[in-house]
Amino acid sequence: MSTAQTPQPSDLTPETATCPAGGEGMPLVMTTTVDQFINWARQSSIWYLLFATACCGIELMQTGGPRTDLDRFGAVFRSSPRQSDLLIVAGAITYKMADRVRLIYAQMSEPKYVIAMGSCANCGGLFQRSYSVIPGVDTIVPVDIYLPGCPPRPEALNEAILRLQDLMRGEHWADRLRSHEPKTGGAGAGGQAAGNSVARGGQTTGTPASGADAGNA
Amino acid sequence: MKPAEIHRRLKAAFPDGILEIQEGLLDPAAVIAPARLLDVARFLRDDPELRMDYLRLITAIDRVDTIEVVYHLASLTHRHGAVLRVRLPREAPEVASLAGIWPTANWHEREQYDLLGVRFLGHPDLRRLFMPKDWVGHPLRKDYVRPEEYHGIPTSREAARARRVTAVAPPMHEAKDEEADGIMRLNMGPHHPATHGVLNFLLETDGEILRRVRPEVGYLHRGLEKIGELTPYYGTMPYTDRIDYLGAMFTNQGWAMAVERLAGIEVPRRAEFLRVIACELNRIASHMIATGSTAMDTGAFTPFLHWIRERETINDIMERICGARLTYNYMRFGGVSRDIDGETLEKIARWLDHFEPIIDEYNRLITGNEIFVRRLANVATISAEDAVAYGIVGPNLRASGVSWDIRRDEPYSVYPELDFAVITGQGWRGRVGDAYDRYYCRVLEIRESVKILRQALSALPAGKFRTEVPRTLKPAANEVYTRVEGPRGEAGFYVVSDGSDKPYRARYRTGSFTALSIIEHLSPGLMLADLVVLIGTLDVIAPEVDR
Repeated sequence: MSTAQTPQPSDLTPETATCPAGGEGMPLVMTTTVDQFINWARQSSIWYLLFATACCGIELMQTGGPRTDLDRFGAVFRSSPRQSDLLIVAGAITYKMADRVRLIYAQMSEPKYVIAMGSCANCGGLFQRSYSVIPGVDTIVPVDIYLPGCPPRPEALNEAILRLQDLMRGEHWADRLRSHEPKTGGAGAGGQAAGNSVARGGQTTGTPASGADAGNA
Repeated sequence: MKPAEIHRRLKAAFPDGILEIQEGLLDPAAVIAPARLLDVARFLRDDPELRMDYLRLITAIDRVDTIEVVYHLASLTHRHGAVLRVRLPREAPEVASLAGIWPTANWHEREQYDLLGVRFLGHPDLRRLFMPKDWVGHPLRKDYVRPEEYHGIPTSREAARARRVTAVAPPMHEAKDEEADGIMRLNMGPHHPATHGVLNFLLETDGEILRRVRPEVGYLHRGLEKIGELTPYYGTMPYTDRIDYLGAMFTNQGWAMAVERLAGIEVPRRAEFLRVIACELNRIASHMIATGSTAMDTGAFTPFLHWIRERETINDIMERICGARLTYNYMRFGGVSRDIDGETLEKIARWLDHFEPIIDEYNRLITGNEIFVRRLANVATISAEDAVAYGIVGPNLRASGVSWDIRRDEPYSVYPELDFAVITGQGWRGRVGDAYDRYYCRVLEIRESVKILRQALSALPAGKFRTEVPRTLKPAANEVYTRVEGPRGEAGFYVVSDGSDKPYRARYRTGSFTALSIIEHLSPGLMLADLVVLIGTLDVIAPEVDR
């Protein structure tokens, strides 16, 4: 656990923070920084939007079920985008749906994150030759985590949530508050919002979830 | 009645209207003069000995020089069917609409108009069904070229890679002109927790009473039929998983049966039993989602979690059977992808013993719950006539009191050897065909599936699980329609071959598509909260509607 040495910011979470031993009748005191405390609170209450478009939605449902039980990580589903921090795009998105996805993303409260769940959301997957499926949801909303699989297993989605927690721990919460007002360009015109793309640029490269459980078999 | 006899009667009644009888096809078809189509259709429906009360499917085919429209009809009364075909000029394909004879034709014709550009004269509401309003062209035409981009979104992954989005401007919505008629217009969906996928309902409400509900679909239209034309027969199998991801075994089997019939492939007995075992497990899993989510939509979350818990075990068993939890890709032409092992069989038997008492537990939890019963009983009743006219199939049709189950009435696989009851709605807590009947039919069908599973497990013969099939399949030019009884009713596959290794036209008929089309008819006067019950008990899922 903790020592008297100055802890590195990366491993300083409320759990590992310096903790003077509380004696008899002494209250337990924990010291940390405001940012780390906020990040700890954020990572432990990821409310995801119930946005199941296709097959992956069923696995998303199973992930919320008794066996995988996402609630353990403070992740519960919400039906309204206004209450959600995380958009899990579970399934194929068509051109007809694209504007709705943008609208839902715009309605979510800041700071917000996106997981592209499954091959269709990543790159169009099986439907790349289709005339109506968009080739990856990152053409319409910024994506933080790409989760491979067709569909990904609940364990894989679980892993993606853990990676998202890593992402949250490693950043300053205020850096995320940036997509309010894009400076230039319309929706879908990637790379044009110059003022915002700097902070986002590093993060949208994404953190693919572990490959070990990516497949079906 | 045999097709030959039906054709003889048709010829006698319309000497000038029948241009040709295509005897050589696996499902013989009658080519009709387009001008006489309405009369022929009315005759087939109204003649007491023919009584084709059920329009299965309307398919348009682009033959490059002409456009063909094919009608699959069936009679639930006499258990026979017919195939009609009209040939239209490609430049201006126009034919009379059958929406006045079979209301289910309304949506089928809109779909064919959208995807192939056939104009149906006299259609009440001929608009695009799946594609956006401003979409250009008809994608299932053979000369269709995919656009480079649509509304600024590139259509190829290569172009998309370079255009990753970093910020989003919310799309602006134009304010709609409100007519001063006291009616409120609302969008319910396409993202709504109670619509079971991306379905959109345009509501016109007067307070909480609905004046009209118009389903707006196509938000999950992935163009599976076009992909079917571009992919060799073998390669389409994984795509059929995605037609109905809650009942992927059934769409697998439907596709396998269609191609087997086309290519004349025999399936070993053991494989048939393996198919039945996999399908009935899948049916239980699917009905769990249907009944559980109905309870969830009406406010009871616990029963749903109970089913999800049990469903995980089915997923485990499926994983042992075929290696996948959801998108199975299990069936092969001439059998299944792998044999089942003894341990898996034991696991299934053990699970059935464990599961049967759980059904009782579930019933105690919710099925008999008075609050739940009152939400469902006497709500959104579908009469038997309406159900047949709108092409409702599966448990929804049976709940309306029509005893029609493809497993029994148009038997396939080894179902004739198995003993099971066809559940029909009895008006258990209200009228026959109400929401409660639709719900309870599914609960009872879970029990029937358990019964079938036990029989299939004990009767599973030894032998091969797959026959040898050539690596490239090139069936001669022909066409077939096969159907299986899926959890949402008839899963039909109409395949037209032309001698190459890819189908010339692949067409999928699904239960949810027709089930959704009845909502506009049922909606006037319904409470808003009842609409959720209606959608839930119809067990509509978006991928089946949109494909």
